[in-house]
Amino acid sequence: MEAVPPGSVIVADWYRNPDSRDFFTKILHKKKRRVFGLLEAPVMPPHLKADTVRYKVFISGKSGVGKTALAARLAGHQIPNMHYETTGMETSIVFWPVKLKESSRVLFFQFQLWDCGENAMRRFDHMLTSCKEQVDAILFLFSFTDHGSFKDISNQMSRFTDPSDRVVRLVVGTKFDLFMHTDVTESEITRFQEVSRVPVFRVGGDVSEGFGEIAPLLNALAENLWHQDCIHASSASLPPQPHPEDTNREVIV
Amino acid sequence: MLQADTVQLLCLTAASGVPLFSRGSSKQLPFSVIGSLNGVHMFGAGQGTVLSSCETERGSRVVWRVFQDSLMLIAVSGGGNKALSELHLRRLLENTWNCMVLVLGRDELANVRNVERLKRELRSCYRLIDRLLERGGEDQGFMGDLTHCADCLVPAQPGILQETLDSFTQAADSEFGCLLIRGRVAVATDKWLRLAPQEVILLSTLANSLSGVTSCDYPVFLPQGSPTVAHRLLCFQLLPSAVVCVLCGPSPSLHRVESELVGSFWSPLVETLRGCLEQAERSSLPPSVSLRWDIQALLVINRETRRSVVASSRASSQNPSEAPPLSSPARRWELLRHFYTFAVTRYFTSEEVTTSPTLPATPATPAAPATQASSTPATPHESLHEDFSKGFTHQPTQCYLVTDECKCYGLQTPQHQLYLLTDLSVPTFALRSVATLTLSAVTGATGF
Ligand SMILES: Nc1nc2c(ncn2[C@@H]2O[C@H](COP(=O)(O)OP(=O)(O)O)[C@@H](O)[C@H]2O)c(=O)[nH]1
Ligand SMILES: [Mg+2]
Repeated sequence: MEAVPPGSVIVADWYRNPDSRDFFTKILHKKKRRVFGLLEAPVMPPHLKADTVRYKVFISGKSGVGKTALAARLAGHQIPNMHYETTGMETSIVFWPVKLKESSRVLFFQFQLWDCGENAMRRFDHMLTSCKEQVDAILFLFSFTDHGSFKDISNQMSRFTDPSDRVVRLVVGTKFDLFMHTDVTESEITRFQEVSRVPVFRVGGDVSEGFGEIAPLLNALAENLWHQDCIHASSASLPPQPHPEDTNREVIV
Repeated sequence: MLQADTVQLLCLTAASGVPLFSRGSSKQLPFSVIGSLNGVHMFGAGQGTVLSSCETERGSRVVWRVFQDSLMLIAVSGGGNKALSELHLRRLLENTWNCMVLVLGRDELANVRNVERLKRELRSCYRLIDRLLERGGEDQGFMGDLTHCADCLVPAQPGILQETLDSFTQAADSEFGCLLIRGRVAVATDKWLRLAPQEVILLSTLANSLSGVTSCDYPVFLPQGSPTVAHRLLCFQLLPSAVVCVLCGPSPSLHRVESELVGSFWSPLVETLRGCLEQAERSSLPPSVSLRWDIQALLVINRETRRSVVASSRASSQNPSEAPPLSSPARRWELLRHFYTFAVTRYFTSEEVTTSPTLPATPATPAAPATQASSTPATPHESLHEDFSKGFTHQPTQCYLVTDECKCYGLQTPQHQLYLLTDLSVPTFALRSVATLTLSAVTGATGF
């Protein structure tokens, strides 16, 4: 499915808006991001009740590209400065308040980010299966300091085609802060976006700037997931489609 | 050889001395020194002796050990105030090896076919190994890496937690479950506690190293119980710093346990868990245990279950004003580690060589007895000092030490050991009764 342009479904940059403050303070604790246990969720006063919608997001990319760092960045944890191989699967929960444009309704998106070390995935079969099971979105990562990882993106994306096409796919370039060593040019990115019609996000550097650094990516995830669900809900009343496996189509990216 | 207060850990192939990795101290030892350290060990082996440890005049120490006839680990510590004891270095080697087995499995390490490949694979152990080397938990009184007893917290209301954990674990098709509160075992299933103590400690370390992560699914080999078949360690952060772990086979999936079991079993206990977290801020012992104000720190070990609990009183400043200024908590834990080491290497020597438990629990395929023996060698060179008790037929049951910072008293019964640090104001002749009363105060009120 093609990505929707930013700001078409939800209020863009809502975190900057004063009326969002009551919601965003719920994901903060002492000026830092609040860490939520599995038994916790943001609690709003009755007059500001907001529903929570849950999505599973898989972070894909080769070892060292910055998957674990991205999960930490989005969840607001301490970003590791050493590269330690992730020797299994880890999930992190991110709550993100969003205001829908049309209805002005506020929702808490609960993203569960799934991060799995490449070696572990190779050695233990159940890992990949587990990551792909009921996944709603995939972030394909490359690093701006590693041209090979960028080249590999198309490969990665074709490996994860889902016949029902009910998976939001976004590309994230990490280590954008290391622009001095950048290996991937702007024109390559532009061309990639034109051909694949998948948007590319840039992350890297400090997160001290507050939400500005992560908002574009989290908003895009929210917006595309919501859009995907709306489309599906409206098509659900149509007669059932032939089983995707029967058509046996190949998708070339 | 090394800067003071630093430790370096080296891993080489045992047969050819090819360096595989080095961790620890930022300033690496030069290659020639590594070569010599290996060479001198090999020379010994050629003469039919096992070189296991040496100490320089300036307090540096080197400890060697070969595992599975395949890999050699060497720990080098610089002198200085924080120099590690030989016992600690030995434990470090053993723990490091266990980390490597935990992550990679024993087969990978015992039969080195491709050195370059092994080097790459070993990288995945660095997180855990560095965690051991950082000694990060020491200032919070974690002792398990040294004592090989699980660091525990005794909750005020263990009953409901235990019941919930037991049924949650069972629902996840497992018999091995554990609840960690701020890194300490609050409750665990019987089977979990019957894992080898080193395994319990490593699994806790692994679960604790996941800062911020909500849940995880880690393949783990159990160094004693299942060194060649991986199990899955699933951890769930119920509340920040309250983590429940289960050890599973191929099913159920992480997603299923999380979505179907975690909430339904644990939601009713949110307040109890919060209570535990609050208690843990103050002490690992419940409020029902009151300690004398002049006790600085204590460590109680249950020798049967290989569990331990530490406490340090006067966190609340109700001490009389004439009390001398107290050393920092970090310093008290450090002194406690020193005293533990002192006592077990000189007097309570039966503790020093941790023999493998009689019942190594094996979730799936029990390891053959032969491999069992080779994975926990209690080799003769394990003994660290000439025994104080050599020539005596009895075992010391109490010992004490007076320093210019504190007084220390050690006490052992068939069931327990107590290591106690008190203020200097406690008369030396009263130490024994203070220790005896303290031990019964702790064990009596909690059944620890
Ligand atoms: N400067 C910079 N370093 C990064 C960034 N993302 C990751 N890294 C570093 O790259 C290394 C590998 O990152 P990690 O997330 O562990 O990779 P993974 O194997 O994909 O999980 C670590 O040393 C990170 O600190 C980034 O955006 N900027
Ligand atoms: Mg990683």
